Amino acid sequence: MTAVPAVTHGVRVPGSERLFRQVVLWVPLAGIALFFLYPLAIIVVRSLTQRDGSIGFGNYTEFLSLGYLWTVIGNSLVMSGITAALCVGLGLVMAYAMSRTRMPLKWLVSLALALPLLAPSLVQALGLIFMFGRNGLISKFTGIELQVYGLPGLVMANTIYALPQAVMILMVALRQADRRQYDAALMLGASPWRRFMDVTLPGLRFGLLSAAFVCFSVTITDFGNAAVIGGGYPVLASEIYSQVVGQMNFNMGAVVGILLLIPTLLAFYLEKIAAQRHTMAGEGALPVEPNRWWPRDVPLWGFSYLGTAFIVAVMGIVVYASFVQLWPYNLGFTLKNYNINLQGGYASLWTTIYAALITAVLGTLMLFAIVLAERNLSRTKAKLLYLLAIVPVGVPGLVLGLSYVLSFNTRAMFPGILYGTILLIALCNFYHYHSQGFLTMITGMRNVPRPLEETVASLGGGVGAQLRDAVVPVMMPTLVSVFFFLFMRGMVTLSAVIFLITSKLSVAAVTVLRLDQTGRSTQAAAFSVIIMVIVLAAMGVMRAALWWQARRARMVAAGG
Amino acid sequence: MTLTITGLSKFYGSFQALKEVDLEIGDDEFVCLLGPSGCGKTTLLRVVAGLEGYQSGTLRFGDRDLSTIGAQDRGFGIVFQSYSLFPHLTVRQNVGYGLKIRKTAPAEIARQVEHLLKTVHLEDYADRYPWQLSGGQQQRVAIARALAVEPSLLLLDEPLSALDARVRAELRGEIRDMQRRLRVPTIMVTHDQEEALTMADRVVCMNAGRIEQIGSPEEIYSRPATRFVADFVGSSTLLTAEQAARLGVEGAAAAGSRLFALRPEDVTIRLDEQGPGRIRNVTFLGNVNRVKVGIEGLELLAETGRLPGLVEGAAAAVEILPGAGVWVQP
Repeated sequence: MTAVPAVTHGVRVPGSERLFRQVVLWVPLAGIALFFLYPLAIIVVRSLTQRDGSIGFGNYTEFLSLGYLWTVIGNSLVMSGITAALCVGLGLVMAYAMSRTRMPLKWLVSLALALPLLAPSLVQALGLIFMFGRNGLISKFTGIELQVYGLPGLVMANTIYALPQAVMILMVALRQADRRQYDAALMLGASPWRRFMDVTLPGLRFGLLSAAFVCFSVTITDFGNAAVIGGGYPVLASEIYSQVVGQMNFNMGAVVGILLLIPTLLAFYLEKIAAQRHTMAGEGALPVEPNRWWPRDVPLWGFSYLGTAFIVAVMGIVVYASFVQLWPYNLGFTLKNYNINLQGGYASLWTTIYAALITAVLGTLMLFAIVLAERNLSRTKAKLLYLLAIVPVGVPGLVLGLSYVLSFNTRAMFPGILYGTILLIALCNFYHYHSQGFLTMITGMRNVPRPLEETVASLGGGVGAQLRDAVVPVMMPTLVSVFFFLFMRGMVTLSAVIFLITSKLSVAAVTVLRLDQTGRSTQAAAFSVIIMVIVLAAMGVMRAALWWQARRARMVAAGG
Repeated sequence: MTLTITGLSKFYGSFQALKEVDLEIGDDEFVCLLGPSGCGKTTLLRVVAGLEGYQSGTLRFGDRDLSTIGAQDRGFGIVFQSYSLFPHLTVRQNVGYGLKIRKTAPAEIARQVEHLLKTVHLEDYADRYPWQLSGGQQQRVAIARALAVEPSLLLLDEPLSALDARVRAELRGEIRDMQRRLRVPTIMVTHDQEEALTMADRVVCMNAGRIEQIGSPEEIYSRPATRFVADFVGSSTLLTAEQAARLGVEGAAAAGSRLFALRPEDVTIRLDEQGPGRIRNVTFLGNVNRVKVGIEGLELLAETGRLPGLVEGAAAAVEILPGAGVWVQP
């Protein structure tokens, strides 16, 4: 075996390009270190800092010895457990109907499923209260008063909130299946039911598990619905808020935060395994064609339409309520609910738009930089970077927000100077959604053919020309998608930024919460509608931009 | 100018992809790097292009040492298997791209592009986009783009592998003609022996990161130096010295561990009921039949035209043409 010489010749990289490579690697890394790893370290330290300032597990033992907290933990587990089960069951029905049957009006179902993602995760609860609450339409017209506050309402609200994610995960899993497996089973004489049990379900194992854990973890860490419809049913998410904001007990809050990390990290881990299985099985698979089979289709479609109708009703009633004179006594039309003069009026809306724009611009740039850097790293280093970039998905927004308070609400000049600024809210949102943006970005980057860059290089083009002519043209749709994804999430997120609100600085979702808590539920509805309209508009602009990009090439082609 | 590679080695981690490669490529020469996938031929091309580095040895072009010159500054042209045209640029813009990077005056760019498009027979397609062209047309654009900057060395990385058989044959001739006319030294990577034999002035046969043999197509085919070359380029029956002796091949006694490589076309068969050979297997190849014939406990590959009664099990007389076959390194 010859010794490997250490020096490599013949790939002289110009100084400007070397500098560029360093910048695109180290700037995003510094961002992750300062705005993700550092706050996370602080929250761990704070959870271990006991009342007398010493380090130990005192907070944990104290917390776990509080009798009522076990009730809170139990409540959370029960609520998220039921929600996850419902989401997976309903999600499987809807995902199957969408991808394996020829269900009419699929677009309507997918549109309805997109609705809950367009609004802060408290609008679902708001809608349920308008429908089933003491002053709800149901009780008004039927006289039956349902007890919607507490567990039932919370489960319903969170199911609506998490269902779209379950459906998405399961649809992806269903898409991985290979038609030849079904053909083989058919040739061996397996009945449709047997084929479902022997081919479909085993193929969905990881998808189901991953969907269950994702639904479990997003609902156990969700703050908005718990605050609006939780009533006398305390859960961990509301507990962390009252510990920190109510009782200023930061260290105890940190303990709850650490506990909330567990389910999310588990979900994250399971999803990684599931993704690996998929890539193993998915190569070269022939897609399964949707078919028709009435005994299966009729009940599946029935459930799917019912679910769709329910979601549309709950979201729709919020829109309706926003135009009503005096809910539910005078249902006459009015616009006065949109004249919001309490809770700072629309100031928080502008703050949110501004913050979401910063999140989108900064986030797109940082993520673009990091995938550019990833391309030039060795395999091991690239893997490490990849892992670092997707870890934030394992940290719920509530915990990230709390860690920001603990880290940035300090007297120290830096990083304390950021506290109470829009920039910090934008950063918190960005790192909250870092992983999803990164995954989209890196998928896009994989489509940029290396030879294209190499062609530019051998024709004498520097890094600028390579970016302009080889990378950006191919990446444009991805950049647009990531930009709007970050903007839309930035508009509706609540749990991450709830801790970063000061008396002078608030965001839209928090204003909705405050309006509702002070009894102005129709104004809360109106404010929610405005948020939804903006997010919908953003989505429309994104679609248009992507469509226009795709069309431009075709148009020029047709003309030439 | 001459490209001189001496003792060049390249490692990926501890894996040695190129082992002490020595190669010289002269003015206006067309050289093919031929070998199976993973033999290091593409790696060698990329090292020459400056897209990959190397750890030891020297790489010179004329009197320039390339170890400190990056891909951007070497002034070589490269064409990839995947065409790799800029999808958002027209044919004209693609071809003119390198000149634009070099800040050539627009009028001059237009003139040169026009000329090149004529050369590759695409003057009517100047304003189309890459996806409106067939694979063969796209590759022509890629070649024109590489030639536009008047490269001092042209590098072709399996340029024909993605095309279908007819277009491939057509482009072979075109590339060769163009190269002769422009007198630009060219290195082409291919795993297709027919391509290498028909196009190259010299063929460099590579295996496992090493050069096995360098020679004209004629030399490579009729006088393979090693077992690998005899086996990879065309087909051969490989016999040990002892086996060759059984067939009465001259020089078997002095052969040592070398192997005797025998081309099928040098073995003729004649159907003969008293013949010592037995037909084991017949493969119809169109113009000829490839025949496996058993004789003296050995199996030889032979070639023959149409023969009535040529079926498995038939008896045959087998003759090895005088002077046929070569001794190769095992």
